[in-house]
Amino acid sequence: MKDFLKQNGILILVIALLLALITTVLSFTFGGIANPFANLAGVISTPFRNGIHAFVSWTEELYSDAFEREAMAEELEALRQENAQLKEQAREGDAASRENERLRNLLGLKEKRRELQFESATVTARGSSNWSSTLTVNKGSSADVAAGDCVVDEYGNLVGVVRQVGLNWSSVITVVDVDLEMGGLISRTDKAAILEGDFSLMGQGKLKLTYLPEGVQLLAGDAVLTSGLISGDGAVYPSRLLVGYVEEVRTDDSGMSDYAVLTPATALDGLEQVFIIKDFNVVD
Amino acid sequence: MTTRDFIIKWLAYTLALLPVWFADSFLLTALPLFGVMPMLLPLCAIAVATLEGATAGAGFGLAVGVLYDAVTLEGTPGGATFLMALLGLGAGLLAQYALRQDLIGCLICSALALGSIDLMRILRRLLTNTAPLGPMLEVAGKEILWSLCFVPLVYLLFRWVFRRVPKATVL
Repeated sequence: MKDFLKQNGILILVIALLLALITTVLSFTFGGIANPFANLAGVISTPFRNGIHAFVSWTEELYSDAFEREAMAEELEALRQENAQLKEQAREGDAASRENERLRNLLGLKEKRRELQFESATVTARGSSNWSSTLTVNKGSSADVAAGDCVVDEYGNLVGVVRQVGLNWSSVITVVDVDLEMGGLISRTDKAAILEGDFSLMGQGKLKLTYLPEGVQLLAGDAVLTSGLISGDGAVYPSRLLVGYVEEVRTDDSGMSDYAVLTPATALDGLEQVFIIKDFNVVD
Repeated sequence: MTTRDFIIKWLAYTLALLPVWFADSFLLTALPLFGVMPMLLPLCAIAVATLEGATAGAGFGLAVGVLYDAVTLEGTPGGATFLMALLGLGAGLLAQYALRQDLIGCLICSALALGSIDLMRILRRLLTNTAPLGPMLEVAGKEILWSLCFVPLVYLLFRWVFRRVPKATVL
């Protein structure tokens, strides 16, 4: 066995070590851009991912038609009622907006203006690891997508952040991933805190809001937005993207501080199309 | 074994790897059991290591590791390349000299390999203080058990290939 290890095993391990080192160096050199191995694998697998995605969507539609018609009818009725309520709220909101406009003019405040440049993308795969929460989308560097770009759903709710970019694909860490960390803003109180993924909550599809401001009273259902502050990794994200809603407030294991458990505003499991924010400009 | 045989043999193993990769990446992600998804790619390296021995196991492990590193964002880039080669070599040695080169040997080697991979993940998260031990052990336990259920399928697939390709390995 000694001879064997000397002749073959060690050689392969040395090759593996060298390859691992090359991959590591390339990954750090390219930053968020996928290294050549990852890029090649992504480019080759993209047509297969698209095909599988189309097939899965088709079977889901068949299932939906066959078994969920009754549930959809009930849901339609509920949505009609909700629509009527929303119309009423919109009428009230119009009055509030007019009042708000008058107050803004009165205070001489400038209208907040935000410009976001979107790139539409389709979710072609979901991460297969239990240790992270990722999505793969079908747009990459050829569409000017870059690492650190925020990804939102059709309602503007934050889905995640682009982590790695290939030629025609990108990997996105979702809002519940352990590696996510960014500034958060409690909408009702306008107080800042930190949004971060948590391993225990990730399996339940939730995240947490930490470093809560002293004396802040959080209520279940409070909306939490991105604050636009610079995150731990130096990236700047657009502000006021809806991340999620407060579900409950818990005390951490040390018993010294509280954190809030958030339910993401976006439905991560059912995402099909997302929008990558390629550029933004916030003027307050 | 001629160069042609050698190429055909490893092409066959690579082709056998593809359906497992697609099942792992696209199909089984929709079927989590108790909230976890199985890990199939390492099982391919272990199955080949059990059948072919240590050298081939290390070589195939290296290839699987490169693929794993390319398609996942997890851990240190390049880490899986080395780890999978090491696991392939270790599984091959175990199967050749301590266990048997059959399904039971593959099952034991797979359990050890999956345990090693999750141990690395747990240590990394403990060192970076990004997750508590308890929930990680829970996920690792479920993940290993769920993944082991697929060992017979993966083993049979690669044994089917093994019986149809030339046996002697020249590297």
